[in-house]
Formats: sequence, structure tokens, C-alpha cells
Amino acid sequence: MLIYFVLIPILISVFFYLCPSFRLGRALVFLVQAGLFVAAIYLFVLTQEAEVTTYIGNYTGLLGITLRADELSAIFVMLTVFIFLMVMLYSFREQKSRLYWFLIFIMEGALMGLFLTRDLFNIFVLTEVASVVAAILLMYNRNNRSMYDGMVYLMVNVIVMQLFLFGVGYIYMLTGLLDLAYSGHAMAYLERSQLVLPFALIMTAVAAKCGLLPIFTFLPKVHSIPKAPATVAAILSGLQVKVGLYLFLRFQSMFSVIDVDNFFIIIGVMTAIFGIVLAVSQTSFKRILAYSTIAQVGLILVGLSVNQPYSYIGSVYHMVGHAVAKAGLFLSAGILIESCGTGNVTKIRGVFRRMPLVGVGISLAILGITGAPFFSGNISKYFMMANVNPLLFVLMTIINLGTIVIFIRCAKMLFGRPTDDNTVRVDMCKQISVLMIGILCLVGGIWGLDSIYILFGRELSISVWSFVEKTLIVLASWGVGILLVSKVLPRYQTKLDVLVRFDLNFRTICASIGGMFALLLIVVGFLI
Amino acid sequence: MFEFSGGIAMILNNILTVAPILVFFICFFGLITGRKIIKSIILMAVMQASVVLFFLTIGFRSGISPPIGGHFEELQYVADPLPHALMITAIVIGVAVTTINITMLMSMFRTYKTTDWDIAEQKSMEDVE
Repeated sequence: MLIYFVLIPILISVFFYLCPSFRLGRALVFLVQAGLFVAAIYLFVLTQEAEVTTYIGNYTGLLGITLRADELSAIFVMLTVFIFLMVMLYSFREQKSRLYWFLIFIMEGALMGLFLTRDLFNIFVLTEVASVVAAILLMYNRNNRSMYDGMVYLMVNVIVMQLFLFGVGYIYMLTGLLDLAYSGHAMAYLERSQLVLPFALIMTAVAAKCGLLPIFTFLPKVHSIPKAPATVAAILSGLQVKVGLYLFLRFQSMFSVIDVDNFFIIIGVMTAIFGIVLAVSQTSFKRILAYSTIAQVGLILVGLSVNQPYSYIGSVYHMVGHAVAKAGLFLSAGILIESCGTGNVTKIRGVFRRMPLVGVGISLAILGITGAPFFSGNISKYFMMANVNPLLFVLMTIINLGTIVIFIRCAKMLFGRPTDDNTVRVDMCKQISVLMIGILCLVGGIWGLDSIYILFGRELSISVWSFVEKTLIVLASWGVGILLVSKVLPRYQTKLDVLVRFDLNFRTICASIGGMFALLLIVVGFLI
Repeated sequence: MFEFSGGIAMILNNILTVAPILVFFICFFGLITGRKIIKSIILMAVMQASVVLFFLTIGFRSGISPPIGGHFEELQYVADPLPHALMITAIVIGVAVTTINITMLMSMFRTYKTTDWDIAEQKSMEDVE
């Protein structure tokens, strides 16, 4: 059954590309996508009882290629289908090109495959497919800027995947297995010193995929290419980065022999701080969103590495909530650029007056990400910070404060009067997709505990006292954030302007990949 | 003779395994220092070849037969064919990626008239916003 989740998107992409009638094809493709969403929910219901496994080619031996869905992968499959459904709704009337739809569906198949597969070599193949498709989608408009950035993106991805493949080969040499779970079991019989090299190789690739500290600059750059379709940015920043984090989770449990949680906590905190500093200095809405993704990735990485049962649930819930909210924000950034003619947050004003639906969608998504009470971010950050040590709690609160500062700067554009009075009619499909995503953020917060119970099968509760305490912290953060944005930031604006152009070129990115690899080797091999 | 333990021994005892790793990191060094885009693309292709070589040497021990052609009933030891099967896919992907990179380079050359990383970056910076 699982193989259809990968095959159907690819088959309908081919069908749509060849279908003589564009409108008929589009309608059929939509129906299939909606059906896939129902199937994903059904898959999730199935995984509640037992793991669903598909052996490709019906070979059930240890070396067979398997697709396996446990609860975690089922959650991400649902997320993928939902975000792609929204993306398709967004580009329903806008995109007339068959090539665009073809590539979008191939991308969906590859991402679904990545969430379902347990074969190390398949992970390599599917990430390559996903990054090649992403690069083509980015260069789609033939804009000069996207050509350079797309090229750097593709080449860096290929290089890190070569490191990954090297690691896979090494694991095969040591264990004779290519399955994530089985080779994880086999590693228990190996010496720890043998695993240092494959660990460093694979984790370097995963770190580049989720954009961790030394290697992160190429990701925000491609997420924020001004003339690339907004949907591509939404998929890349919402889902592709989550693939990296998902792989991090899987490899963390595979290399359970090597315990470097503290190292990744440090990396996560530093990534988050860098992301926030760079996001605050930007003025382009897309850039701000892209760097805030990096900040949230750092936060999630800390949550995943803390090694508490609650923080795991909180982090995964935050991954889902962040993916949804960030996709919505990127889509609305597309609407704003289209209707206001600029993506600069200091120039856009009066979104509520001009486009009330989009304004509501943006504000709900912003509240969702920053963790306002009754929104999905609040619940997830609450559990992420539960039971962590005080120092980390303070750091995570500061990171959240930084996120709030970032988004207060964006929220300014919702209010006030429009500076110009051109009235571009915005496509209703786009507005609905943004609004639906915003509403989902609210639903995920109000019924947060219920949805955690549905998703993870764990009944959690928040005591009234701690909820009040948390709400006070969030409100205080909002106060401090508003103060920072209105009083302190303008004073340092000239210094921050230097960071707007902060960028690593291709060779520096390669050097930082090497640096990350060396750092992991040293930390795992000698220090811990 | 030196005695190495663990992972290092496994590498050093097999000279065939050392060669791909060396090539891989030489390519990596080239990627860090090279200024020309076309050189970077070639280095990436060589890097892919070194990974392929690494996979092919995994199954090899001295004195065993390759897993193609012959009559397997008569042979005592045959090299592991699985890495070879994997590498067919990897080679295909490598070819595709190299082709896309060269195509991108061509269209970038038409707009920027350069094959140098630094100049291309400067020119791409100029037309932001």
C-alpha cells in the first residue's frame, strides 16, 4: 500500500503533463490529491495499531528494500499531503505551465518517499531527486539571481549527498545492511570507534540539509529568491527543511551508540541565535521568513536533543506546526509581493484594510509561530521547555523573544493605511489557502492537547498554574519585543545593515562543510 | 609492523579502500580552493567517481572472483554484487546532476559572461531588488 504514496503523485504528474485538456487534467489531479489526503489519514489510523510495511519486489529478507510507516512517518505524510494541497490551491489559477505542475508532483512523490523509506540508499536517491527538482523549480523564471543561487544550492546539495553516500557505503561495509532499523541493531555489536567516521559523514549531510550553523547560508538564500514562485519557497522552507530534521531524528536513533546530544544542543542554540540576528537585520519579508526558519530549526534541534519524553513530543509538534505556519507565511508573502509590488516590510502598510482575509491568515500564522497563547506554537514550546535545565530554559525563552521581535517587525505591515492605492484583485483561491493555513494554526492550539493525544497517543495535561506562568512569560516577551523594536533596534539599524548582505560564497560553504565534518570527527572521536 | 585498532585498521589494511578516500578529499580541497565554476563541476564528477570506487572495493577481498559472467558453482568466493547494483543508480544520478549543472552554467554564462565564482556572485548581487 505504501508504495502508492510515492507512485501516485509521480503517475499523475506524467498524466497531467500529457493530458490534452488542461482544465480537465487539473480537476482530476485535484481530486486525486484530495483522495491522497484521505488515504494519508487512513494510513495514520492504521499505524496506530501496528507499523505498516511494504516490501518492494516482495523480497522480505534483511537486504530487501522496505517502505515502513510508523506514527512519526504517518504524521509527516499527512503534513506533506496537506501542504501540497494548499500549494496546489494557491497556484490553481495562477500557474498555466504544465512543467510547473509536473515538477511539483514529482517533488511531492520524492518527499513522501523520504518520509516513508527506511533504506539508506533510497534516502540518497530521493534527496537527490528532490534537490534537482527544487533547483529546476527555482530557476523556472530564468531570473539572473535565481540562476546563481539555484546553482549554489544544487551543487552544495550534491556535495553533501556524496558525503552521505560515503557514510552509507561505510555502514554497509561494517554491517552488511542498508536498512535503517536493522543496521541500527547491528551497530550495537560494533566498537564505538568504528562508527565515528560514518557518523561524522552522515551527520554532516543531515546538518547541511536542515541548515545548521556553519553551513546554513545557502538555504535562506534560495528560500528568498525574489522572483521564484512563492509556492516553491513554501515547500522548501516548510517541508524540505523538516526532511532534514526528520532524518536527524532517524539517524539519532540509529546511531544510539554515539551520544552527542550536548554538542547538538550547543549547535542548535548557536544556529537559532545566528538566525535571529540575521533575520532582524533584513528588510525583505521573504528573507526574514527564511532566516526565521533557521532560528526555529535551531530551537527544534535543541528540543530533539534534550532527550526528555515531553520535549520530543513538543519538538515534533513544533515541526508540524512550524511547517504549516511557515508555508502559509511564504504563500502570503507571494500575495503581498504581487499586490503591493514590493516585498519590503518597511514599505508595505495596511494589509488588513486592503486584503482582510490575507491579513487574518498572516496574523494567525504569526501568532502560531511565536507561540501566543491558544496557538499551536504555544503548546509545542511549552512541552519543549518542560523539564529542561534552567540555563537552557532561559536560552530558549530568549530565542522565543527573538522570534517575537522578528515577527513584530513583520506585523507592523498589517496595520496603518496603504501607501499607494493601486487595487490589484487577488485571486480568491490564494486567499482561501492562506486563510485555511492560519485557521489550522489556531485549531492546533485550541485543541492542542487533543491533537497531541491523536497524533502521539499520549494524554498530556497542562496545569492551570503553569499555563498562567507560561502566558505571563509570553506576554512579557511580547512587551519586551515591542519595546525592542520601537526603541532599541532603530538605534542599531546602521550596524545591522552590514548584516543584510551577509553571505557565504560557494567556496566558503564548501569549507564550512569540511569544518563541520572535522568538528564532528573531533567531538565524537576524541572529546566524548 | 604497526598495529592499528578499530576503524583505522580496516582502512589501512586495505589499500584499495584508501585510494577513494584520498581522491574524495583531494576533490574536496579543490572545491574549497577552485575559482572556476567548470572546475568545480568536474571536481564534483570526480568526487562521485571516487564514491563509486569506494563502493566497488567494499566487496573485494584478494583472491575472489568478480560477480559477473562465470560459472558460480565452480567458484569458491564471489565478490558481493549488491554495492555494484547500487552504483548503477548512483552513476545515473551523477550523470544527470552533472548535466544539469553544466546546463545551468551555460545559461549563467550567457547572462553574466563569466565562469568565475567570485565575479558571478558580484554580478548576481548587483541585480538584487
